[in-house]
This record gives sequence, C-alpha cells and structure tokens, in this order.
Amino acid sequence: MSEMAPARTYSQIVGSQFRKNKLAVLSLHVIYVLLFVFIFADFLANDKPIVMRYQGSTYFPVFREYGVRWFGLNWQDAFKSQQFKILEDKYGEGDWAIYPVIPYSSTEYNLQVKLQPPSRAHIFGTDELGRDVLSQMIHGARVSLLVGFVAVAIYVFIGVILGALAGFYGGIIDIVIQRMIEIMITFPRMFLIITIVAVMETQSILNIMIILGLTGWTGVARFTRGEFLKVKNEDYVVAAKALGYRDFRTIFRHVLPNTLTPVLVTATFGVAAAILIESGLSFLGFGAPPEQATWGSLLSSARDTLPTGWWLTTFPGLAIFITVTVYNLVGEGLRDALDPRLKQ
Amino acid sequence: MKKSFLIQFSILILLIIFANLGLRSLESYDDDELGNAGGIRIDLTGNETVYESSPKDLSPREGGTLVLAESAEPEHLNTYTSTSAAATRVLDYIYETLLDYDYETWRFDRPILAESFSISDDGHTFTFKIRKNVYWHDGQQLTADDVLFSIKAVLNPFVDSAPMRSSFSKVVSARTNGPYEFEISSSETYFRNQEILGGFHIIPKHIWDPEGLLDRYSVEDLLNSSVTREEAAIKQFADAFNTHPQGRPVGDEAMPIIGSGPWVFDKWITGDHISFARNENYWNDDSTYINGYSEEGAYLDKVIVKVITDATARLTALKAGEIDFIPRMRAVQYFTQTNTPDFLEKFQKVSYVVPAYSYIGWNNDKPYFSDKRVRQAMTMLIDRDSYNKYVAYGLGIPTIGPFYIYGEQYNHNIERWPYDPIRAVELIEEAGWIDHDGDGIRDKDGVPFNFTFSVSAGSTSSKYMALMLKEDLRKVGIIVNIRQLEWSVYVENLRDRQFDVVSLLWIGGLESDPYQIWHSDNIGDRGSNYMGFRHAEADSLIETARFEMNKEKRNAMYFRLQEIFHEEQPYTFMFYQRDPGAYLKEFHGVKWIPIRPGYKLYSWWRNTSMAGEAS
Repeated sequence: MSEMAPARTYSQIVGSQFRKNKLAVLSLHVIYVLLFVFIFADFLANDKPIVMRYQGSTYFPVFREYGVRWFGLNWQDAFKSQQFKILEDKYGEGDWAIYPVIPYSSTEYNLQVKLQPPSRAHIFGTDELGRDVLSQMIHGARVSLLVGFVAVAIYVFIGVILGALAGFYGGIIDIVIQRMIEIMITFPRMFLIITIVAVMETQSILNIMIILGLTGWTGVARFTRGEFLKVKNEDYVVAAKALGYRDFRTIFRHVLPNTLTPVLVTATFGVAAAILIESGLSFLGFGAPPEQATWGSLLSSARDTLPTGWWLTTFPGLAIFITVTVYNLVGEGLRDALDPRLKQ
Repeated sequence: MKKSFLIQFSILILLIIFANLGLRSLESYDDDELGNAGGIRIDLTGNETVYESSPKDLSPREGGTLVLAESAEPEHLNTYTSTSAAATRVLDYIYETLLDYDYETWRFDRPILAESFSISDDGHTFTFKIRKNVYWHDGQQLTADDVLFSIKAVLNPFVDSAPMRSSFSKVVSARTNGPYEFEISSSETYFRNQEILGGFHIIPKHIWDPEGLLDRYSVEDLLNSSVTREEAAIKQFADAFNTHPQGRPVGDEAMPIIGSGPWVFDKWITGDHISFARNENYWNDDSTYINGYSEEGAYLDKVIVKVITDATARLTALKAGEIDFIPRMRAVQYFTQTNTPDFLEKFQKVSYVVPAYSYIGWNNDKPYFSDKRVRQAMTMLIDRDSYNKYVAYGLGIPTIGPFYIYGEQYNHNIERWPYDPIRAVELIEEAGWIDHDGDGIRDKDGVPFNFTFSVSAGSTSSKYMALMLKEDLRKVGIIVNIRQLEWSVYVENLRDRQFDVVSLLWIGGLESDPYQIWHSDNIGDRGSNYMGFRHAEADSLIETARFEMNKEKRNAMYFRLQEIFHEEQPYTFMFYQRDPGAYLKEFHGVKWIPIRPGYKLYSWWRNTSMAGEAS
C-alpha cells in the first residue's frame, strides 16, 4: 500500500466518478449546446446579416447592434430602418450579405405565412403572426437559461447566508430563521408568485427572476443549516474559534467551503425547477412581456390553435422537457459523484 | 436512473401523440379557399332586418333545453347597478321594458309592457298606458306603480347606478295617473328620449322596496339634492337596494330574481351556470309577441347559460355535446378548427354583425399624439386590411367613424385613410418628429418618440395588434412598449387617462349620440372622452344635433362630424365586428338581429323529434 498512484485531488476524484455516468455526461454536453445558443443567439437567428458588403463598404450589422444597444453607437444612415432584407433591392455590383442560419428575428412577422407547418423556409414552422418558431425558441432559450441561473443565484445567496447563520449560532437566531422558513413554505410557491406578479406594475423577466429568487431560498437555507450543524463541532472549526478568529471569518472562510458542494448540487435541480416555473408563468401570461419570446409563451399561443398547430406545442414542449431533464440528470450525476454513499 | 429517463421520455412522446391525435393535414392558408368556412355570413343591410338561419318548413313546438356558453360571469344581477355586458344579457331574459325595437322598422316604438304611448306636442312629456294583464313571476300584478318605482330607484342619487343615471339627467318629473298610466317629462327634446325613457328594465316594487321607503318621495324630491340630503330614508333605501339579495349570490346559490319576462329565473350556481325556465303563466301567451319575429313568448322549456371562461374549453364542450350554442367564438376556431364534415353536419356556423367597433385610441394630450398629422400618420402606418384578412380572418368591416356601419347615421362618402407608410413618415417629419440626436429614435423638443401601448391581458387580438405595431414602428424610429394589464386595472387607467395608446371595443347601438365620448365636456373627471378630443366645431355640432328632432337635419350634422373625426383621427377606427358563433342544428327559429347581442332566444325552439325520427 505504500506505493500509491500519484495522489488525486478531490476534483479529479469527483470528475472520474462523474464520467462513469454516461447519461450525466451526455446531459452536460446538451447543456454546453444550450450555453452556446444562449451566448450566440443573435448570430444564430437574426434578420440582420452577420457580414455584408454594401455599396463598396463592409459592415457587420449584428455586431453593430450590440454597439447600438450597449455602447451608444448609432446605426449608419443607410441602415436607419434596420430593414436589411429590403436593402437587397438596392444591391449594386459586388454587394452581398451573409445572414445567420435562421434569417429571421424573433419579432419579425409576416402575416402571409402565418401558421405554416415546418418547411425548408421555416424549419419549425410559424406562429399566428407568421413569426419563425425556431428563431423564437433560440431567443426564448436565453430567457429560460437566464431566469434559471439568476433566480437560483439569488436564492442560493440568500439561503446560504441565512442557513449558515442559523446553523452556526443556533439559539434564538436559529429559531427565528427556522420560523421564517416555515412561514415561507406554508404558501404554495406558484400561487405566491402569481399573486406577486399580479400586483407588479410592469412585466419584465428581471421581476420574475427576483421573485423566483426571493421565494425559493428555503430549501437551500435548511440544507445549509443542516450541513453547518454537522461540521460546526469539527476540530478545525473549534481550532478556528480557539485562534480567536471573528465569526465572520470562521463561517465564510472555514465552514462554508466545506458545506457548499452539496448545496450547489441542489442548485442544479433548482435551475431546472426555475425554468419550469418560468415556462408555467409565461404560459399563464404572467411571465415575460408579450414581445419577449419564451418557450412558455410559445406553448401558450399554441393552445389556441390546437389541433392544427402541432409544431407550436411539440418543439417548445420538447425544448422545456429536454432542458429540465438534462439539468436534473447533471444534478443527479454530481450528487452521486460527490457522495458515493448515496449511490445504491 | 436510465430507466426513469426512458419512462419520462416515452410519457412525453405519448402525450405529444395524444395532443395531436385530432391533427389533420393543414391546407395552406388562403383567403379565397377559406371563404365562410362552411358558415353563414349575415349582413343585415337594406330592407333585410331579421335573418333566419334555420330551416323554416316546420312549425314551432314547445319544449326542449338550450345550453349556451358565455365567457364571463356577471358579478351580480342587479340590473341598475351592474355594468357588465354579461349581466345585461342574462337580465334581458327576465325583465322587460315599456318599449322595444320594432323588428321590422328598427324604430324604438314597439309597445311591450306599455299598451300604447303618446308624446306631448312640445315633445317633453311621454305618457305610457300600461297593460292590464301583466303579472310578475310571483303572481302579483305589474302596475304603473312598479314603473314609477323603477325610475325612482334609478334616479336615487345614492344608488350605484351613475352610468345609467347619466342618460336620465334631463328627467324633471314622473308620476302615475291611476294604476295603468305612467307619465314622465324631460327638460329637453332629446332625440334618444324615447329609447331611454321607454327602454329601461321595470323591476317589481314589492320585492325591492317592500316597506315602501320611496313612496313618500316624488321624482322631483329625488332630483332635489336638498331633499335627498335631509331624508335618511332615501339613503336607507339605496343602501338596501345596492346590497339587495335579489340576484346576488350567497354561497353557491342566488335568490331567485322576480321579473315579468318569458323566462323565470331558476338557478345560479356561481362559477358554473345560470338557468331559466319557461314562464308558464307568461302574460303574453295568447297574442303575437313580436310581429314578424316570433309568436307567443318563449318555446324553450329551459335556457342554461354556462360560464366557461376559456375559449378552447368552450369549443370542446360544444363538440362534446355539453352545450348547444356558442354565441361568440374565436375567429381561428371558426375558420380553422370547425371545418370538418362532422362538425358542419351537426352544427350551423353563423357570423353576424353587431353594432360594436374596435379602435386604437391615441391619447390626444400626450406630446406624441397632440398633432393630428401624427395621428393620421399612425392610421396610415397600420395595415388594417392585412390585419383584418390574416388576424381577424376577414370578420371585420372597415369603418371610418363611430356610427353603426349599416345605420342611417354613417357617412359613406368618406374614404378611409389608406395604408401608406411612406406618406406617414413624411407627416411625422412635418410634425417635427425627426431623429435630432442621431440615436435612431425620433424626437421632438428633447422628448423621444417612445410610447406605451396598453393591452388588456385577455385580449389576443389587441396583443397581436400591439406586437405588429411595435415591429413596424421600430423600423421608422419609434419605440413602442407593450404593457399587459388586468382588465380592472386597464379600465381604471383609462378612466384616469393614464395611458398613451389603448386598443378597445366600443359597443354601441343602431343610433347613437356622440356626446358622451366626443364632447370636450367629458374630458377628465372620469368622463368618457378618454382620448381628450377637443374640437370647437365638433362640440357645437354634437350639442345642436342632440336636440334636433328632425332626422335628416340631425344626420347631416353627424355626417359633418364624421368628416371632422376623419381629419382629426382621435382614434384609428378599425372595424365593425362580426361575431362568429355556432349552434346545434336541432334548433329552429334561429333569428339574427342587428342589435346586441345579435340574437334573441324567444323565437328559438328545439326540434327534438329529429333524433326520434331517425331511429
């Protein structure tokens, strides 16, 4: 036993455990694809060309759009109306444009092609206003993932802090925080969210993310509290106390890093749950504003057209299903890899 | 884990298959191909005043039940304090009025509860002779006292009937001469007086005021604020009236409503249905009820109004045989989801015109829309014809003004603004909205052209309108924000004039008075001129026309008024509406009329033998 293999780090062990789970690895790759779509949505589906040659100069309209949106740039005079497709009529010698794979934006409508089944022009068909479904799904993926991550980040932050305080100090702080948790969980979450959304002045995704964050922290807080109770009497914690470290340092430098990993695993499931709730809210019309394409709102508009518009239900439904499933599978894989005892 | 994933996945696939089982191959959308989708399109123009869509070869039979679906449930059924259209439709089955429309001439002069009526020479006083054979559903006789009581209840300043009371604002006195004569006077010879003074529901005094609290006061007293302030009984009556259990649900059920009409209130199970039974002792059972329309009261034994809020669920219920009649369905359902031979064999589809028009209202007091050139430009930027063709499935009838398109007030000489985005942009620039700072958004005096389009949360059609406008205006450098609001909040904002743009439907009548919506008196203070339309000539035309009893002269003024509306574009007038509906073919005597709701169930009867003969 003295000749051991080179010592493996914790993350290497976890990594190799995780890789044993083929389904989880596959799911992780699906998440990579989703992240790619998330980042490059504007380059995948847009009514503006990525590169175009127009009257002797080369332009990059998609990049320009970012410049206009974030850096206070302006559109070139020729492109003020942003109707690049109409400009094609004015193309002179040597003018060309390279469009994204799906040359439609999520808001661009064309009534003549409303409710078209999938075809070569519109791979996933069109909706009631003749908007491209695939383009809406690509831009909708942004909303779903953003809502998932930001909402979970908010509630993990709140939950970890409250759980840490409760677990570390115990006593009256613990009692107060525990009662807060109990009060929160007595409200059915979906109804609580719908009630809050109903009284909000404006509809925005940011609101949804904040509300999801503010209502979802209880599970994380309980979990963190439990982990804290487990480790707070470990020698290294006692040592930290004996050295006279301030509580803040003890909690966040010494105890928390040792309890955080299992918390982050539950967060993976949380992302899936948040995506599902956002879809549900958009389906009910409480979610994102109407001009914002989301998977849930696509499904909702499909409800009116069934049974004819099957492509309006099938593709967004599958997208929600796959996304939620892969996050759950990755979460399961991580949990098993981190804690082999749990594995049956 | 693998197994659970597979199970989940196969369940999903199964669900998709089930959801699409009803799927049929979809033909590409084409207007000509679509036509009327197997239904009857009814336009009551010219001499045609009533249209019967069912076969006329059989004579009516009593009996049978009709179940119809409404999308909204009335909050309560107090006929004077309720403001919802759903309540009015229900109450029209139970209560009657002194006069009603003649269904041949469409003048408001057919006596119902009144046997006859006369107007004094100066046009100020109306005298109604009340029929002597009318009995309430509980057996008591209906007399002029009930009529007088009804008008007192409306005029009582503490009763929550303000919107209704405003129509009666010119009433100065009312009295009874014996038990069968009722007389009412107004200070002005207003052209709609006959419709207003003869057109309100008569309610039973012995139910609503059993203690006779109002007996001591005359109509003059109730109009005199020094009396109403002093006398506690007036307030006491109003409090009791506003919260009267009649027609107000307690728990699941409501107290039966006593009226005089051909149907008797049966039950109201809140959240589910309201039902009516045929009035076996209907006072008019032995005489022709409505000339050229229907005979002898009602034929149907029972009418059940089911409340199903969801449009998809309503259609499903119709197909499943749970309901017999959907008066208003979604256009997409009418044109694409009910075209199967099965459906067309079993149900008759009908689209009928009702005097209601849709519009987009521009708040004239906002900097963006204060210039009429901008409002004209907005109208020209909206491709109304494409919208009608593709989103409304051609159900709309384009209109240039607020008057009923098939009525005598409508000015057919005015040509609609065309769809012309290029001219529109020129107008916007003429008005001074140019992109001065080069950020891609037009601005004027430092105000960017960036407005909010308020949409009622339930309305898909206005949501689509807003989405299309947003996309189109973005291209000409105008930013539109879309705000979805709950209906109650939406109406609040409208009344407080806290909006930039709204998209609404206005339900009018065959003949209407533009005063309420278009006169500058009604701006602010929650008046109905929500857009803030101010125009001196329009104001004077509206005022003069109100009291002009000569129809030709009056309509000439309204023709001029419509020219002003056309020029000013306070609204973008969109369409008069055709409501698409469907009913079970077992029903006969199905007649369609040009007043809302477009049908009256008195003449309907069910040919129950159809099923019997077949077997």
